[in-house]
Amino acid sequence: MIALEDHLPIILIATPILMASLMVLLRKHPGVQKALSVSVSFILAILSVLLLLQVWSGGIQAYEVGEWGKYGIILVADLLSSGMVVLTSFVSFLALIYSLDYIEEKSLSASYYPLFSLLVAGLNGSFLTGDIFNLFVFFEILLLSSCGLVIANEKGGVTKSSDKMEATFKYLILNMVSSIVMLIAVASLYATTGTLNMADISVKLSAMSAAGTLPWHVFAIALMFVVVFGNKAAIFPLHYWLPDVHPTAPSPISAMLSGVLIKVGAYGMLRVFFLIFIDTLYIFKPVIIYLALATIVVGAISAVAQTDVKRLLAYSSVSQIGYVFLGIGFGSVYGLTAALVYLVNHAIAKSMLFLTSGGIIHHAGTRDMRKMGGMVDSAPFMSMMFLVGAMSIAGLPPMGGFIAKFQLFDAGIGEQYYFAIAIALIFAVFTLFYMFRAMLLMFWGEKRDVAEHGEYSTHGTSPLMAVPIVILALMIVVFGLYAEPLIALANATANQILDPQPYIDAVMTRVVR
Amino acid sequence: MNNTLLSLTIAILFGIGTFLILRRDIVRVIIGLGVLSHAVNLLIVSTGVFDGTTVPIITDDGGHGAAEATGTVFTDTLSQGILAPVLEAGHHVQYVDPLVQALVLTAIVISLATTAFILILAYRIYEEYGTTDIRELRRLWG
Repeated sequence: MIALEDHLPIILIATPILMASLMVLLRKHPGVQKALSVSVSFILAILSVLLLLQVWSGGIQAYEVGEWGKYGIILVADLLSSGMVVLTSFVSFLALIYSLDYIEEKSLSASYYPLFSLLVAGLNGSFLTGDIFNLFVFFEILLLSSCGLVIANEKGGVTKSSDKMEATFKYLILNMVSSIVMLIAVASLYATTGTLNMADISVKLSAMSAAGTLPWHVFAIALMFVVVFGNKAAIFPLHYWLPDVHPTAPSPISAMLSGVLIKVGAYGMLRVFFLIFIDTLYIFKPVIIYLALATIVVGAISAVAQTDVKRLLAYSSVSQIGYVFLGIGFGSVYGLTAALVYLVNHAIAKSMLFLTSGGIIHHAGTRDMRKMGGMVDSAPFMSMMFLVGAMSIAGLPPMGGFIAKFQLFDAGIGEQYYFAIAIALIFAVFTLFYMFRAMLLMFWGEKRDVAEHGEYSTHGTSPLMAVPIVILALMIVVFGLYAEPLIALANATANQILDPQPYIDAVMTRVVR
Repeated sequence: MNNTLLSLTIAILFGIGTFLILRRDIVRVIIGLGVLSHAVNLLIVSTGVFDGTTVPIITDDGGHGAAEATGTVFTDTLSQGILAPVLEAGHHVQYVDPLVQALVLTAIVISLATTAFILILAYRIYEEYGTTDIRELRRLWG
């Protein structure tokens, strides 16, 4: 038997790709598909935790695909990437369970399972790869599979398919332009340094910088990467696709997009800027901070005015990813720790809110919050869960969101970014306002006008939809009450990000054949 | 290699692609994206010409007998009687990096897949909206 623990990085990428093709072949057997995809997703979640434990105890792992040393593709698992893989596997497992009852059967077995596996493969791949062109390839896998998933039909059909196509078209065009920008950046980087391996590029650029011969166009390349990752993460001038795409996608896919996929941008920022472009960071830190502030402001103001529950959550995602980027922009150990804690807490809370909103939409038969009201009587479970999520996003004490916001503001004040923190605090109040405005509109108050909008549907929440929501809600509370392990992990990760030498050593000391 | 001409071609292709992306017709936007991605492919290929020092080709075979770095690559120059990969001793030619061509191959395949997907999407949008005018795609506004 091959030693499993030596091959974890490639298993985490190859298994979902294999599953995608198996699922296409098995489309006539929905029962087999269901059992297989759920069990494999569960196994992947366990393996990702194993990988994280391995990296935690044994240091950074570099896995050669094809024994070419630094000239070939290398998968690198450090704390940041393996932590993100754990987050991905966990959220995708819960979203998959949820979608078994949520997505229409025909769409589920024909296209949903394969594309979902590909999405997981793309996410794991882009987190684990140590090669910058490979990162581009995995970004494209992500893009195409998520486009296919946005179009998938949910049961009940609240969202029109023309809306989905319009949203997907915007998403695809913008992301194709950004992938063209990324290719230009990668090509220029390759022409400058003659290598595609991120650790090797880092070594060469540091050498150039130390010799004082850092070419000026490295700054332009770094700016292009800001555009690319900003587009993935929906940072202010590039956020226009997100409020269209996330609401029209089926709820489990919205949870994946908002929970994990926009975090790819934050991950890329952390990886590329703190490994490769360390010497340009003094110019880009203020850029990132001001973009993050603009994102917070625009997202929060737009979210206040929304009447569509999922659109509100999408604008809230825009605003919240701004807070993550604010922490990245501070660039200190404490700032990065806060950003990572924020990232995890937002991923869990927002996935859970999107899953809950799916149940709410089923119950009310509409996405318009003005046509809801008084649902606390007819859907007490959903209102409870929405309250937990809303409290976490708004940053109220017992939940994980409070810890994250507290750490971020504390880091900012410690670093004397008073102006940034003032703006972030004002718009944290906006967050509180729009989350509880949604709560009031949907659950409290009078029951809606039955003659005009019809009765609420009577069938309750199915257990397959309730279990993922409850698990995520429990995690929010646990991360709020017992935050020490998460903060310790985030702190170790931040230290590792700020000191790229172990990463470079792990990749570069391979034997070249 | 005439790099000025190559750079000019790339620049013109970028210009055409950007112009087409800004048009109102969906099909022109898609063609513009295709032109842009080919301009990028050309750009990548153009980065593969080196003066011989920074090429990531392993010239040492790992200790199984010394392989000398000859500085030669396989380029046909029929006028001098050189037919790749057979090269007379003493000929020194410019390196052409083989890696960029693999990169371009990958990029072409990816842009093929995306273009195929977006063409199908454009056709379905035409069916739903009855127009290919991109300004009519505003049902999600507000």
